[in-house]
Amino acid sequence: MTTNRCGRSEKNFFKGDQPVRNCKVKIRIRNREFLQKKDLLWLLTKKEITLKYKRTVLGIFWSLLNPILLAIVLFIAFKIFLRIQMENYTFFFLSALFPWNWFSASVIISTGTLIGNVHLIKRIRFPRHFLILATILGQLVNLLFSLPILMGFSYYYGEGPSINWAISIPLLIIIQFIVTVGICLTISIVNAYFRDMEYLIGIVITLLFWMTPIIFPLNAVPQAYRIYLTLNPLTYLITAWRDVFMSNLIDWGNIGISFGTSLVFLFLGVLVFQRLGKRLDEVI
Amino acid sequence: MNHVVEIDDVWKRFPIHRERPGFKEFIINLPKFVNKNSNSYFWALKGINLSVKQGECLGIMGKNGSGKSTLLSLILGTIYPTKGAVNVSQKITPLLELGAGFHPDLTGRENILINGVLLGLTIDEAMERIPTIEAFSDIGGFIDIPVRTYSTGMYLRIAFSIAIHTDPKLLLIDEVLAVGDEGFQKKSRDALIRLIKSGVTTLLVSHNLSVLKEICSRAIWLDEGKIKAEGEPASVADEYLKHSV
Repeated sequence: MTTNRCGRSEKNFFKGDQPVRNCKVKIRIRNREFLQKKDLLWLLTKKEITLKYKRTVLGIFWSLLNPILLAIVLFIAFKIFLRIQMENYTFFFLSALFPWNWFSASVIISTGTLIGNVHLIKRIRFPRHFLILATILGQLVNLLFSLPILMGFSYYYGEGPSINWAISIPLLIIIQFIVTVGICLTISIVNAYFRDMEYLIGIVITLLFWMTPIIFPLNAVPQAYRIYLTLNPLTYLITAWRDVFMSNLIDWGNIGISFGTSLVFLFLGVLVFQRLGKRLDEVI
Repeated sequence: MNHVVEIDDVWKRFPIHRERPGFKEFIINLPKFVNKNSNSYFWALKGINLSVKQGECLGIMGKNGSGKSTLLSLILGTIYPTKGAVNVSQKITPLLELGAGFHPDLTGRENILINGVLLGLTIDEAMERIPTIEAFSDIGGFIDIPVRTYSTGMYLRIAFSIAIHTDPKLLLIDEVLAVGDEGFQKKSRDALIRLIKSGVTTLLVSHNLSVLKEICSRAIWLDEGKIKAEGEPASVADEYLKHSV
């Protein structure tokens, strides 16, 4: 038995042309639904970005200006005041800090996202996880604007431009997006039940910051304690980011571990979000 | 006749202590949470059976706190039933709280776009309708300035206009039959009645019994989470009045 292009068996097909027309309509509706969902996510993300810079003079230009200023401040701090005995320390720090900032800002902001959108959640029916996705995508803009700075450093130190960038940067963005979505889904919905999360998350993020090799290289940690950092999945992700810019290297090992753990986080996040989401209306 | 809404023995409860405990209380009172008994719940709906046909206009009356809004939220799908099943086979346009999705810092135009898409339009469709919505809401040159500068009336007018211009198939209306000043009240009411008469399935919660009698083809009376009476709007209204005086 053959199937037509809608995946229906020929048996239905013989009943005249009615089923075929039906299935065309169905495909169009499904397309429309998909388009509508895509539009909704796009608009929510756009809203997130526009609102952030509403009533500022420079607008979205701040997303570029902020990391540049940060780079200058750190450069001065580490070159003149602290004089860290490490080659290209500012570059070393920034290549991990910018991706980390996308993660930490997303987690911190999305903690309050569900609570902050009570009016939408209670009065309009739409996929609630879109609010979290939009928050994370809105923060991605900052990372995208800081990538040129890292590329500039890379070029200055003779490690780029490279064809590797075209592969690894989008890949790392996707992996980091997946892991961030998983974590943010969990934290945002748990925070609706236990508002304590909001206060807890600040310190947890700080702890995580020091448990990820961002300010220091992994081998600066005493051997006995290094194990704790290697248990942190973000260690692999952040190292992969750093390798891309500092050594023009795609470390498939790190990327593989990051991708694997990101899927686990996503799975758990979706599970918790769906479970707790059913009683969300009673707690917000 | 196909049923657009089917509600099958639906129960809904809310915890009475709406303030959820924090981690500390949770840990200290852990034993109490484990053997939680059902006394700490409030049953907003107790075994509702209801079906609404295509093109029908169902009026819902009842005292404050009788479960009318809970019922609408369940149909809308923003809350889930504790027991039972709710089946809805049409796209729903809620008119529960006007301007729910508005952001004060965005302009009227931006808010129309976001709300239109939240209510199920694509961006292209919403863009096409902006002139119509603008004309209907009659807010003049205010469409391109932030809605925080709007008067309450303008705010409601534009919110109402968006909702009725999103091709409603199933309307849920909670006491928002008329908004704005005299002129717009008449306009909005006429527009709604036109929609209802054109065959849009409608569930209408209202305390204005004469409106219910005028517009609806059927009515139910909710009392303490149960359907007390169902049938002709006029007779249901009579029964409701008899018991509530």
